[in-house]
Amino acid sequence: MAAPATLSLRPCATLAPSRSALPAARFASSSRPAPSLSISCPPRRFKSLRRALAVGSDQQASAASSVKQEEKPRTYYFLVANAKFMLDDEEHFQEQLQEKLRLYEERSMEQDFWLVIEPKFLDKFPNVTKRLKRPAVALVSTDRNWIRFMKLRLDRVLAEQFDAETLEEALASNPAELNFDKPDKWTAPYPKYESGWWEAFLPPKSSNGMA
Amino acid sequence: MELSLLNPTMHHHGIASKSTSHLPAHRASSGPARFRVRASAAAPPAPAAKPGSPKKRGKTEVSESLLTPRFYTTDFDEMEQLFNAEINKQLNQDEFDALLQEFKTDYNQTHFIRNPEFKEAADKMQGPLRQIFVEFLERSCTAEFSGFLLYKELGRRLKKTNPVVAEIFSLMSRDEARHAGFLNKGLSDFNLALDLGFLTKARKYTFFKPKFIFYATYLSEKIGYWRYITIFRHLKANPEYQVYPIFKYFENWCQDENRHGDFFSALMKAQPQFLNDWKAKLWSRFFCLSVYVTMYLNDCQRSAFYEGIGLNTKEFDMHVIIETNRTTARIFPAVPDVENPEFKRKLDRMVEINLKIIAIGESNDLPLVKNLKRVPLIAQLVSEIIAAYLMPPIESGSVDFADFEPKLVY
Repeated sequence: MAAPATLSLRPCATLAPSRSALPAARFASSSRPAPSLSISCPPRRFKSLRRALAVGSDQQASAASSVKQEEKPRTYYFLVANAKFMLDDEEHFQEQLQEKLRLYEERSMEQDFWLVIEPKFLDKFPNVTKRLKRPAVALVSTDRNWIRFMKLRLDRVLAEQFDAETLEEALASNPAELNFDKPDKWTAPYPKYESGWWEAFLPPKSSNGMA
Repeated sequence: MELSLLNPTMHHHGIASKSTSHLPAHRASSGPARFRVRASAAAPPAPAAKPGSPKKRGKTEVSESLLTPRFYTTDFDEMEQLFNAEINKQLNQDEFDALLQEFKTDYNQTHFIRNPEFKEAADKMQGPLRQIFVEFLERSCTAEFSGFLLYKELGRRLKKTNPVVAEIFSLMSRDEARHAGFLNKGLSDFNLALDLGFLTKARKYTFFKPKFIFYATYLSEKIGYWRYITIFRHLKANPEYQVYPIFKYFENWCQDENRHGDFFSALMKAQPQFLNDWKAKLWSRFFCLSVYVTMYLNDCQRSAFYEGIGLNTKEFDMHVIIETNRTTARIFPAVPDVENPEFKRKLDRMVEINLKIIAIGESNDLPLVKNLKRVPLIAQLVSEIIAAYLMPPIESGSVDFADFEPKLVY
């Protein structure tokens, strides 16, 4: 019986480079303690230090020393699919992002995940773009484990990663108009989520300015 | 679960003829009355008084039946083998590491906090709706608690062979305990409480091989998500039906269920032999059908509950079935074609047959006569189920396993 693992695919494979292949050297303290995360609850009085606090749960140690972390080069992990799938079909995805945002607010953690509509970084991935319906939407995060989890959840998405010098560069996007047709038959006993829910998860305006 | 399909009316007997006739008696009592679940419909009644809980007054016995939420047990030695990283080199440990992080995050750490609204809402609820609510809380609590027991034990047993998988199980049992506890506190608003310690000892456990535990628990977590989120979103849009505040907690709550389902998805991916051959397809379809039919028959017997919160029972169930099936198609290699209108027609015929079987049970005939009358109806029900099983299925599965994946456009 052929193990399907051998049939399995680029998107997954890219999520699992050997640890040595990671651009770990760029991190001040490069040893990323693999899954031993503990998202701690920083006490409120440290709110002023928020920016200095860890973004990814597994990077707390290294981030504490880097106050202006946006300016450090980092690795971004992303999942991408057509906008209809990401923003219109998968309603549980919206709930998950809201839940995560709520948690980050409760624990005063800096956001490390974004939705990017028509991201510029896709230009670097011809193998991805040729298999992608447009407009496309990417879920981007610096938290590799979380993206891996989201791949498991969403399944019908492509996964890749890239390095970028700044957050702005990483999240730059091209303008795109998103309009989803109303579903022909809506049988759920509740209304669909309002279009535009994703705006809360788009990168801060400054990075759009790059577009 | 299979058995439940062959004898779906038993539950009805238990609840309708026993518990509902006893429960109202407790309304006036000041302290919580505890009630127990008898070990099985066929087993002798549980001992009348349990030492150590002397202040119970007038316990009500709720009889367990084949459609009540089950307690599961499995072959723990086989589980140990399956997740032994030494033996299984292909275990995708990265996926488990990612899941562990997700569970450690503990999104709902501070979510399950009650407020005075609960008691007020419970006090306002009278008559049949009150009884239905109690039953709903009791069944939900039992189901969550059964998850707690199974996951807790798996967490304990897998500690040595795969500490990461073991810890995820333990964290899931944390969630289930929280959910069960919250529901049990809900019961206290109605001056009742489930004796969970007693349940643990007295309930009969259903044994499933690990493979079947994966199919069954995956489905029950995902269907749980779809049921809860549907109720939540419906009540958000129609707040006039918000009769009890527990539903307001469902949005965050059901995200736990969804994550639990994801974990079983990863477990199955780590054991591709459970997903990639013709037997896996047959079992996948069988488990889907079992779970859907069980829910449909169960809920149609309790339509007063769904109507009480403003839902049309059959529409609610079909929505949940269709969505659960779409979700399940991301991992199971085949699923029934529930969106084919014939599927619903079959379910509706099953409900009708089931109603006739129930009517016989409630008649004054001699037991032997009842059984003789039931035989042809049960045969009809079985043949409907088989016909539904044989409907052309939908081939499905994770794109990680699809050989056509390189050609897929996303």
